Parts: sequence; structure tokens; C-alpha cells
Amino acid sequence: MRVLVVEDESAIREALQRDLIAAGFSVDVAADGEEGLYAGLEYPVDVAVIDLGLPKLPGLQLIRKLRAGEKRFPILILTARDRWQDKVEGLDAGADDYVAKPFHFEEVLARLQALLRRSGGWASSSLACGPVVLDTRAQTVTVEGNAVDLTTFEYRILEHLMLKAGDVISKTDLTEQLYEQDFERDSNVIEVFIGRLRRKLDPDDRIKPIETLRGRGYRFALARNAS
Amino acid sequence: MRSVSQRLLISVTLLLLLSFGMMAVVLEARFRRMAEHSLGDLLDAQMVALIASAEIDGGGHIVPRFAEAESRLNTPGSGLYAAVREGSSAPYWRSPSSVGSVMDFGPQLPPGVRDFRYITDARGARLAAVSLGVQWEDDADGKTFTVATDMAPYDEQLARFRRGLFSGFAIVALLLLVALAALLRWAVGPMRRLAVQIRAVERGERDQLDTNWPTELDGVVTNLNTLLKAERNRIARYRDTLGNLAHSLKTPLAVLRASFSPGAPGAEQVNAQVDRMSAIVEHQLRRAATSGGSSVGRHAVELLPIAQDLRSALLKVHGRKDFTLGIGIAPELQFVGDRDDLTEALGNLMDNASKWCRAQVRVSASLQDAASAAQKLLIVVEDDGPGVPPADRPRVLERGARADEHTPGHGLGLAMVRDMAELYGGRLEIGESGLGGARVELRLPGRMR
Repeated sequence: MRVLVVEDESAIREALQRDLIAAGFSVDVAADGEEGLYAGLEYPVDVAVIDLGLPKLPGLQLIRKLRAGEKRFPILILTARDRWQDKVEGLDAGADDYVAKPFHFEEVLARLQALLRRSGGWASSSLACGPVVLDTRAQTVTVEGNAVDLTTFEYRILEHLMLKAGDVISKTDLTEQLYEQDFERDSNVIEVFIGRLRRKLDPDDRIKPIETLRGRGYRFALARNAS
Repeated sequence: MRSVSQRLLISVTLLLLLSFGMMAVVLEARFRRMAEHSLGDLLDAQMVALIASAEIDGGGHIVPRFAEAESRLNTPGSGLYAAVREGSSAPYWRSPSSVGSVMDFGPQLPPGVRDFRYITDARGARLAAVSLGVQWEDDADGKTFTVATDMAPYDEQLARFRRGLFSGFAIVALLLLVALAALLRWAVGPMRRLAVQIRAVERGERDQLDTNWPTELDGVVTNLNTLLKAERNRIARYRDTLGNLAHSLKTPLAVLRASFSPGAPGAEQVNAQVDRMSAIVEHQLRRAATSGGSSVGRHAVELLPIAQDLRSALLKVHGRKDFTLGIGIAPELQFVGDRDDLTEALGNLMDNASKWCRAQVRVSASLQDAASAAQKLLIVVEDDGPGVPPADRPRVLERGARADEHTPGHGLGLAMVRDMAELYGGRLEIGESGLGGARVELRLPGRMR
């Protein structure tokens, strides 16, 4: 796994590099926002750790530019400013999680591993397949304009399915969206979530958004609307 | 405290009543004296006619003949009476009009003395009487001639005058007062407008006062505007400084921690101290950055977008947990205060609830019309987690507890929210939710858009 660390404080940057390598990552480092943008756009990065207070290009703008450049890898923010206003702005810009400074490396590692399993953010804020519309920014779902109340896990499964609408997604793949570790999860769990999603999205069984392919997985049956 | 216009109106009303009252009393006294005077002149004229007509009758008495010409003296009870006395107080001659109605004509007078006085007739009515002492050359004893007239017509005239005077004065005074009230309203109008605008600034409905004022107020308003602007800038600068301070304190802490890789000798101790210092920095600086009560920094802030932003942030942050975070807030609801303060408080409450819930967090808000202005907006954050046992609630909300005594989690966040709420005159309470967990009620100043 390739991780990009963008941090201007050399002691922290070097410590992160050292500890991440020890944890089995391959690490790219950048000392300012512009370097970080270049690395993020050019290298096949799997996940990024970005400090918000960066010289040349502030962290928030760096994240926005990466998302605008269609980079979907998960981003973890490091910040010493941790008023909620700052966190909300960072997450809204396209980051996926944050860790407040001074951090414990174990915390950073745990969050990175969790993020790697999930699909990252994207630039466009809504995902529409037929009547099902997913607002990725507000994390809300509507069917034919009516709000549907989903749990975080249901939302994440739906998001993953819709992102890859038309493709077959295996149960293992879906399980990885939800759980950080390779627990010996009972595969029934995914079936339960899919069942709940079907009931919530399509109570009258008219739209039939999710297909089951026996032995292979699931597929979101409605095509992505041209934006 | 009465308003300036009320004070003016009251004092001017009193002054007006006093001066008009005094004028009325003086005028009335003056008129009465003039009337008495002319009454005296009238009686004197009658007296002259009476004396001039006097002749000696068959019995050798001097008797006025004029009475035969003046019909009023011949009609009983006509209101005009005359009498002549000599020696004793009983008159030897009296006009036919006075028979049976006037008993006492006053004292006898020495020659040449004139007397004006009021006497009463048999029915008790007042009469004005002029008496004159007269002595003829061949007359040993002086005679006293008296002419009296009924006061009723005169009293009635006086009453009419008084009525006219008072009602005239009352009308004039009333008109003056009405004019004065209108004048005051107009003159005090700008002050009233200023008060309304200042209240709007306090409620966060406007940032500045208008610029168009009468010259007397112009200076004050300009100064107030400058002050408002300066205060607002000061708060922003203060907060920036605190943010920078937190940042520049925490970065070295992060460096310090990063220099000790996990498992290195002494790392555990350094880590513990770094945690402690970072908690203190966070707690104290966050508290200081709460603008709270300052009425200058207040704006009307819409609640729903803030709750929605926090919701999507928290869903990301707590992405490892399967739960729903429902928001039931009317879009018209507004908090009156600082946006950052609200974001911070609501962020803490929603974060706590997300952390402790099993599967459900619910955020709702409403306007409590019966509550005081500082507690109109009720925000409720509830979850289905373990809740806070009643015995622990005071401790969790304890204020002024040192940051490093708290374990991160429910405690520190809630104490901070409570501090913030109280700076606004609001309140924070913990109870039990119908969902099964904690129900945190935050009351703050608010209104409907």
C-alpha cells in the first residue's frame, strides 16, 4: 500500500515515514502543499495523510484540488486546529477522517487502515442511478425525491454498489467496506444489509435496484444517469 | 425608568395646569371686583335719585318720592329695595318692595358716611346694600338712606363668566397638550428609532446602525458604529490569535511525541505528559475562544445547515460504526449568537452521542415561546447508548474542573458546552431519552426567521 504524507514539520514527517514503513507501507513524503499536489496527482497513491497548515498551498485547497483532479483515494487530515468548524471544512472539502495533533501513531495507523477499505471521496457531490439519488456530501439518499433514512453501513454499501453500478460486487468486497479487520464475518451480515436496503429503497418491489447473482455477489441494476 | 418624552409630557402638563389655574383665579377675582364696583355705582345712582326726590310729607317726615316713579321699588320681592331710618334701627320709611322681605338694613351711619355691605333678606338670599348718612340743615337727627339690590342676577353673571373662563382655558390647555405630545413624538422620533436599531444589533438582526441622523445624535451613532466594528474585529482577531496559539503549542507537542517511536525508552511517560498538556491547551484555549455573551458578535445563524454539515462530518468520522443520525430541525429556526460557538457546542454534543449510541442518534430543535429570550431555542440531542446515570450528571457538567482531570469523552465536551451556554444565558441539561440513552437539552437564544 502506498501512502502519501504531506507535512511541513520535518520531525513529524520523518517520524510518520519511519513508523509507516515499519508498518509495511511504502511512503511518499511532501513538505509543502504544491509538492503534495504534484505527488498526489502523479503517483499511484492509495491513501494520503495531509496536514492542514501547509506552506505554499494550504491543506484544504490541496484536498479540493486533488478531488477536482478526480483523485478518489481516502484522505486523512492531521490538524492542530480542532474546532469543529475546521473539521467540518476539512471533511467537506473531501477528506475522509481527521486526527488531532498531537496524535498517537497507533491512532493514525488504525484510521488509515479503516480508510483503505472504504471507497474514498469524489469531486461530484451527487450520484444518481434512475430514481435513486445519493448526495455524497450530505450523505443522504432520496428515491423519487423522498428521503430514505439509512444507517451508516447501509449507506456505505449502497454508495459502493452505485459507484460501480452495473458491475458485480462480491460479498467480500462489500464486507471490506464495513469492517476494518478481516474478521471471520458471517456472510449473512451482508445479506441482512442488502435485504434492509431493498426494503428501504423499494418497499413496493417496483424499482428492483439490487440484483443478487448467486454465488458471485450483487449488482446495482440501474445505470448511472448522464450528468 | 420613565422615558424622556414621558417626563417632558408630565412636567409640562403640571406646569400648564398650574399656570392656567393661577391665571383663572386672578382673572376671576379681578372680574368680581369690577362687578362689585359697578354694582356699587348702580346703587349710588339709585341713592342719588332717592335723596333728590325726598320731600317732607304731612307728618313732617322727610320721605323719598322717587319710589313712585321706579316701579321696581313698588313691586314686593322685585329685588330692589330702599329704606330711610332715623334714630332707631327700624326704618320709618321703606319701599313697598321690601315689605316682608328685608328686615335688617345694616347699621345707622353718621352724616356723610357711605357704607357698602352684604346683607341677607328673609329667605336668606344675599343682597348688596349701600347706605349713606344724610343730614338736612333743619334736621336735628341725621337720616340713613339705604338702597339694596338682589345679588342673584349678579351671581349668575359671575358664574357664567367663570364657566366661560374655565372651559375656555381647558380647551386651550388641551389643544396645547395635544400639540405638545405630537411635537415630542416628532422630536424624540430619532431617539426611538435609534433604540429600535440598537435592540436589533443586540439581537443580531443587523451589524451596524444607519448613518442618517439629526446632528445631535450623529456623533454618538458614528462612535457606536466604530465601536461595534472595532469590537467585532477584536473578537475575530482574538480568536485567530488563540487558534494560532493552540496550533503553535500543539505542533511542538506533536514533534515531541513523534521523536519517541512507540516502545522506545521513556516513550510512555513522554506520551502521557504530552496528552496532558495537549488536553490543557485544548480546554483552556477553547474556553477562551468562546465569544459567548458579547452581544456585539451576535448574528442570527441558521441552525439546520450547521447540523447538516456536522452530520456529514460525523458520519465520516464515525464511519466504523453502523448507526443513523437523524435531524429534525425546521429550516426557519435560527440561533442568535456566534456561528463558531454554535458549531462547537453542537459538534461536541453530536460527537458524544455518535460515540456512545448503539444504533441511533437524533437531533431536534424547537422554539419555546414561553421561555426567556436567552433560552428560546431548545436543541435536543439524544441517543440509544448507555446514557448518563443521574448520580453522574452533576460531575459530567462540572465547571472549572481542570482539563487534565477529565478523561476525553462525555465529560470534557459537555462541560465546555455548558460554559458556552451559560455565557449566552442559556442552559445545558442531561436527562433520559425515549430512545434509551442520554437526552441532552441545550437552551440558547433563538428565533424564527
